[in-house]
Amino acid sequence: MRAAIIGVGQSRYTRRPESGQSAHTFIRDAVVAALRDAEIDARDIDGMAVASFSLAPDTAVDLAWKLGLSLKWLLQDTNGGSSAMNMLGHALRGIETGAASVVLVTAGDATGLAGYGKIAASYNIATRDHLAPLGHGGPNGVYALVTARQMKKYGLEKADYGRMAIAQRAWAAGNPNAVYRAPLTMEEYLGAPLVADPLNRYDCVPVVAGAQAIILAHPDRCPRGRAPVRVRAIRHSFNYDHQAGDGLQTGISTFADELWREAGVRPGDIDLACIYDDYPAMVLAQLNDLGLIPDGDLKRFAQREIGERRFPVNTHGGMMSAGQPGGPAGGLNHISEAVLQLQHRAGARQVPNARLAVATGYGMTMYRYGGTAAAAVLERME
Amino acid sequence: MTRGFTVWRCMGCGAVLFPERLLCPRCHGAAFAPERVEEGVVEETSTIRHMIGQADWKPRVIANVRTKDGLHITVGLRDDSGPGTVIDLYEEAGAPFGVAKGSPPPTESPPAEPPP
Repeated sequence: MRAAIIGVGQSRYTRRPESGQSAHTFIRDAVVAALRDAEIDARDIDGMAVASFSLAPDTAVDLAWKLGLSLKWLLQDTNGGSSAMNMLGHALRGIETGAASVVLVTAGDATGLAGYGKIAASYNIATRDHLAPLGHGGPNGVYALVTARQMKKYGLEKADYGRMAIAQRAWAAGNPNAVYRAPLTMEEYLGAPLVADPLNRYDCVPVVAGAQAIILAHPDRCPRGRAPVRVRAIRHSFNYDHQAGDGLQTGISTFADELWREAGVRPGDIDLACIYDDYPAMVLAQLNDLGLIPDGDLKRFAQREIGERRFPVNTHGGMMSAGQPGGPAGGLNHISEAVLQLQHRAGARQVPNARLAVATGYGMTMYRYGGTAAAAVLERME
Repeated sequence: MTRGFTVWRCMGCGAVLFPERLLCPRCHGAAFAPERVEEGVVEETSTIRHMIGQADWKPRVIANVRTKDGLHITVGLRDDSGPGTVIDLYEEAGAPFGVAKGSPPPTESPPAEPPP
């Protein structure tokens, strides 16, 4: 085993980037933080992966140039909410095969609200030509329909999603980097303005500007006194059902059994889950696909396991409370949170004795729901 | 607006697809014939009340609609049709819109207010 995650870093998150701030500057800040955290000199980085919706017209090599990095392994990923997982998998394999020895994985965006709106309206050709002319509202409209289907199929009510939002906000109170940390009440949740029925303001991930970075290297390079985090198994799925299903199962359903078998652990062994949370409905869908809701009772799981925080889900507050600096960086924050928890560095939100975590990515809303998904089982190395 | 909406039938296996593909996901054939679909059944709806980055947004309604071939498409609704309603489909610039079956064709501009 030659590869482990040895350090993480993030930039400040902000709802509205100021003049002079860009995806590039946020990524720089995250990279500096990750290098410091991993106690790695920038000259030791020989591989880099990046994902961003707002790096253009620059590409990965331009970013390497601006960061002063000379590399022998380079990747730019375009898979949105599952980009982070995709980059993680490629980076692991890059190190395991000897293509690189110290890999920086980073993601960040600073689209601003207007820029996000433009991206949402022309996310791909199907969206630009067949959804945007309807006034579909970007992903909010798409997942409003998915959520309506989930409510109908599983007998879920708004308050069930509310318990998830409230629980994630409570976790966020322990995360100094979360943009929303004040407690959320059920009255506030149920009284929030509707954005796209049945989704209200607290169901729609808040767009922020910011960036994340992680460093992968041989576990021996992990700073002294800190446990490196290894990936026991990682799996991916792309275009799993050609958009012909109901979207209530994700691509995770195609590989979950294989993921657990490869990891050599069972869903019940997991200490915490970092689940890509662009919308609460998709958190439940992914947990169900992973087998973490053993009886398939989504309502009970939302109310008790998540709502009462019996099972730790999105302990950094998730994107719903920490903020979504674009799907790629939002996904990378889930991986970073798993690492911090497994290294027992999560401060006030620390899950006691965390040893195993599962993290997911989900995204690329092709037409009716996301077409990409990925998951990894991460482990604290003693 | 023109009556009906164009979908694509695979010449190899008969699968009906929308949006148009390069190869059929079922048989991987490359030949498709356009076909008009004139009605569908509403399964879920959503009123889009806010559009990020747009201050003067006028709410509008979208729906998940099932056609007789079992194809699911996302449609702009121009009336208050709810789940279970059979709607007539229309096409405007490549995008599907609908109104309750037998209603007058929809106007080309979106409604100023959401349905009740």
